[in-house]
Amino acid sequence: MFKKRLTLKILLFLILSDILETFIQFCFKKSTLPATGFSVTNLSDALAFMKTVLSSPFLWLGICTVLVIFVIWSTILSKIDLSVAVPVASFSYILVPVCSIVFLKETISPLRWAGIFFILSGIILTSLSSKEKINES
Amino acid sequence: MNPNIFLILGLIAISNTFDTARELFLKSAINGLDAESPRDIRSLIKFLSKLLRKRRVWLGFLCSILSLIFYLLVLSKADLNFAFSLDSMHYIFIAASAKLVLKEKVGASRWFGTLFVVIGIILVTLS
Repeated sequence: MFKKRLTLKILLFLILSDILETFIQFCFKKSTLPATGFSVTNLSDALAFMKTVLSSPFLWLGICTVLVIFVIWSTILSKIDLSVAVPVASFSYILVPVCSIVFLKETISPLRWAGIFFILSGIILTSLSSKEKINES
Repeated sequence: MNPNIFLILGLIAISNTFDTARELFLKSAINGLDAESPRDIRSLIKFLSKLLRKRRVWLGFLCSILSLIFYLLVLSKADLNFAFSLDSMHYIFIAASAKLVLKEKVGASRWFGTLFVVIGIILVTLS
């Protein structure tokens, strides 16, 4: 039996996972902000970088959120097929850039938005194709 | 365009390679289990304890950590929206490696979706 019915409760869980995913990305970015301008090919620089990042509370907040999202995803996937969950969950590909503009003052050109929409439609196509395969078998 | 673009692309590729390796380790560990997929809490705990005894699962966790380290290096050099968009590169790696390593069937519409991701990544890189 395949679980396809997207109920309001699952939809809210999916939206929550989008928001948390965006929050994780924001935290990870924040943790690296004090550690720019080093060279990755220099070992002592790389170690100093790790030290700065590991001591950032944002990194650990992000990692804790990863664990929370893992539990939420396990719940979602026990209730609904991956081919239904992924298209809704991939809206973080829009949410993250929006959050970058609002909170991190990044700029996004129209060409980059076009690229983001291609990536998003690619992910949706890829995940919908698994439904096709299940229906065939 | 960011002068570090090739360095950043390389670091994202390394991070995504570790992501892909993790997925392959986990999938092959789960494929190797004779257990049914869990239906309730008790069978889930049994399933997880069987899974945690597999060395491949721990190799998967190690890959997660390595992937995160390289992703943090990327974030320190690039904008978040750029890094996050390009992080979708693992969709391409996973489609290719599922076919090559796990011998899974990858259908036409899935390759089509992967092609869209490739086009998107090229556009974001050029922007």
